Amino acid sequence: MKRLLFLIFLGFFAGFIYFFSLSLSKPKLSDITLQEGKMLPSIQELVDLNGDIIDERSLSNGKVLLNVWASWCITCLVEHPFLSKLSKGEDLIIIGINYKDDLSKAKNYLDENGDPYKFSIFDYKGYYALKLGVTGAPETFLVIDGKIVKHRIGEINQKVWNDEFKVFF
Amino acid sequence: MGKLIKKFGMMNLKYFFKLIALFCLLANSELLYKNLSEEQLVRLNYLSDNIRCPKCSYGNVSSSNAPISKDIKNEIATLIKDGYSDDEIFELMKNRYGNYILLNSGEDKMPIYLIPLIALIISILAVTTYTIKKSK
Amino acid sequence: MTDISVDFVGNALLWGATIGSFLGAFLSFLHKHELARRLIFLISVVLLTASAYLVIQFLNDNFSFLYVAQNSNVLLPVYYKISAFWGAHEGSFLLMIVLLSLSITFSNYFIRNKNQIMQSNFYALSILFLYLLFIVTASNPFYILSNPPINGADLNPLLQDPLLAIHPPLIFSGYVFYAVTFCFVMSGASGVFSKELFSIIKVWSSISWFTLTLGILLGSIWAYYELGWGGYWFWDPVENVSLMPWIAGTAFSHSLIYSRTKIMLSWMVFLSIITFLLSVFGSFIVRSGILNSVHSFAADPDRGIFLLGILSIFTLASFIVFFRSKDIFKGNWPKFGSINYLLLLNNILLMTILLIILLGTLYPIFTEVIFESKLSIGPNYFSELITPLTIALIGLFTFEQFLRLKGKVFFLSALSLVVLSTGVYFFFEQMIFLSLITAGVLCIVLFFNLFISILNHQTSLRMHKLFGHLSVAALTFSVLFNHNFSESVDIKVSEGDQMNLLNSKIFFEKVEIVTDSNFNGVRAKFVIDEEYPLLPEKRVYKVGGQITSETAVNSTLLKDYLIVLGDRFQDGSWSVTFSKKYGILMIWMSSFALLLSIFYGGLRRQL
Repeated sequence: MKRLLFLIFLGFFAGFIYFFSLSLSKPKLSDITLQEGKMLPSIQELVDLNGDIIDERSLSNGKVLLNVWASWCITCLVEHPFLSKLSKGEDLIIIGINYKDDLSKAKNYLDENGDPYKFSIFDYKGYYALKLGVTGAPETFLVIDGKIVKHRIGEINQKVWNDEFKVFF
Repeated sequence: MGKLIKKFGMMNLKYFFKLIALFCLLANSELLYKNLSEEQLVRLNYLSDNIRCPKCSYGNVSSSNAPISKDIKNEIATLIKDGYSDDEIFELMKNRYGNYILLNSGEDKMPIYLIPLIALIISILAVTTYTIKKSK
Repeated sequence: MTDISVDFVGNALLWGATIGSFLGAFLSFLHKHELARRLIFLISVVLLTASAYLVIQFLNDNFSFLYVAQNSNVLLPVYYKISAFWGAHEGSFLLMIVLLSLSITFSNYFIRNKNQIMQSNFYALSILFLYLLFIVTASNPFYILSNPPINGADLNPLLQDPLLAIHPPLIFSGYVFYAVTFCFVMSGASGVFSKELFSIIKVWSSISWFTLTLGILLGSIWAYYELGWGGYWFWDPVENVSLMPWIAGTAFSHSLIYSRTKIMLSWMVFLSIITFLLSVFGSFIVRSGILNSVHSFAADPDRGIFLLGILSIFTLASFIVFFRSKDIFKGNWPKFGSINYLLLLNNILLMTILLIILLGTLYPIFTEVIFESKLSIGPNYFSELITPLTIALIGLFTFEQFLRLKGKVFFLSALSLVVLSTGVYFFFEQMIFLSLITAGVLCIVLFFNLFISILNHQTSLRMHKLFGHLSVAALTFSVLFNHNFSESVDIKVSEGDQMNLLNSKIFFEKVEIVTDSNFNGVRAKFVIDEEYPLLPEKRVYKVGGQITSETAVNSTLLKDYLIVLGDRFQDGSWSVTFSKKYGILMIWMSSFALLLSIFYGGLRRQL
């Protein structure tokens, strides 16, 4: 009886150690699924910061980098110089999604820091971003012919670009 | 029997209170989600209690103050109004954010419901039979 | 570039204590009791000096210390500068170690019996040694920056609250006291359980139980008033991790009652081991980064591996002692239908609740590691499964109190009613109402029992038992009451509005600006039913820039009114959540009654 119980204990113990060392060694999965592999949601009457209606086809032609930003977002300011650099180099179009922002503050922000975007979608209520699966700012999507191939939550910089985005070019 | 007790339960009283509240609205103030019926409001509460805030480390959509939670709650309200069923809304949220944000009991959570139940029954039976045997 | 180097004084003190504890364990092993005792005293002095040294750096805003730079700020009020000491991982672990060394010293000065204390000193000093080794290698608070920042990164705003300043140390003390209790139980398991040893264990288990209960309760109160979600328990993984040792400890304290006859001695030792290991497991899981939670510390995989190693050593060592012990497996078995048999059933129920919490906490980690799929366990899982078990538990202990009386049949039928209703609960989902009624009936029964006992003057010995069990029943009742009736509504209001909601009259008087040394914000004033003022706030912290919402609460005996200030709309109106929560004060009151009974139960033995 005693020996049996001890063996049961040893079995549990070994399983326990194995399980937690596995859990410590494996990289953590991201909590929410990324939007990779999905098509862009279609929404009528998107407008840019000037109030002009956006042609939906401009989002789904060729390689488009969608970047969610706002003037209240501190990390967006951090990644802004990198986006400016990117807009001059690679063969891709950068389109902003101005997320839950004040129109005049957003325009000021672009005036002060430069405008790397071909245009920015003015998403005051965050409705388009919600459909897109955005949970906050900044987030960046690489879209090829209307299909999201890469989704990044958080800051984007040279290292992230080289590690995760470069393969698509 | 279940229905009988539910009928005398506090639920009816709650509806009654909420109904009064709806009638007594004054100008300039409004209930958010006021265009939902009583039944739909209950569904909204159920759904937002069982969908996790995707941006927070813990807490559901109804208890979190994060902007994204408010957006999701609003969207659920819209979806309810558009005639989506609870399951369809759960499915839609799951497709967008992943399984992680569902807090309701799904099939993938069956083991943790069954294991304690089985353990309880087996241990009570084992201890009782052993005790009876020893007592004799 | 900023270089990081080690601070000499702090590290010298920590290393001194580490070597000292190793030596002390060795001396105790060699039965050199007097020497070991002096060494223990010395170690606690050294560790106290080390923490005082760190606190002084906080008070002086010495940001050349990495830990101070990360967790404090010039603008922070003095008392939060002190509590910032345990505001992050390194300091809180140091605090735990200091508490452990102090309680070992304490027991060495009060317990004069050489044989008992010697054995337990060996175990306690080994634990202390391993923990200290962890601190100096993987969790060192004494690092120095060559280019100190001008200002620190501020203490997490959630922690800038008096309740949360004392909640973590209390939980840690609970863990530490259970570790000391464990050491005494181990000394019995590797030797003999004398009568004297049992009384020592009883005192320490009461102290631990009391402290952990108080710690959890304060955490719950903090969550209710500070997190502002209107809830007091969220079944958050970190909360669960502190609840698990509490449940095991509760079972342990009960198993001690029958230790005199050595019934189920092995069970008692097993529970003590489980309680201790669960508390270590708690530290492991919170600090390794395995869990995401409001409360968890910054992730560091190296720490995780180290802590897993410590946990494995403790587990293996304690179970080897358990299985090698001669005394343990010879205990008597209770008779069918006796009080001890009911206690056994009660223990099974408690263990099942423990299993439910353990599974609910670990299952998401399990699926992530094994199936690579993320999932979440909601509060519903816990409340659905635990409610019927708790009702059954209360039913059982209510029945137990009448077992000696003549009217057995009546209470037997009452018990079967309880069992029946829990069964019914499993089949009908919306039966929370029925469990509420059951809990209410049981409360009344227990109350009359207490009343009759007071009339018959048989209270002095059983008072804590009657009162304690009544307060648990009352607590269950209040929790169910809260769960059943609480309601809340989201509204959009402007200043000057008056409206009727949830059968109450709400008046939105004004919004004003508030400023403090470490935050700016707005404060709104609402008046409910023309008598209860509520002042919810929104704050922006000056240093980190975090925005927090301060819930306004107004408590009455039966129900609480809560207002959370949401976002401001463009037209100047505000989104506001108004809630009525029932039975909150009843929950706190019954919990404090439980604490009082635990306190009296522990103290009574000393009188």
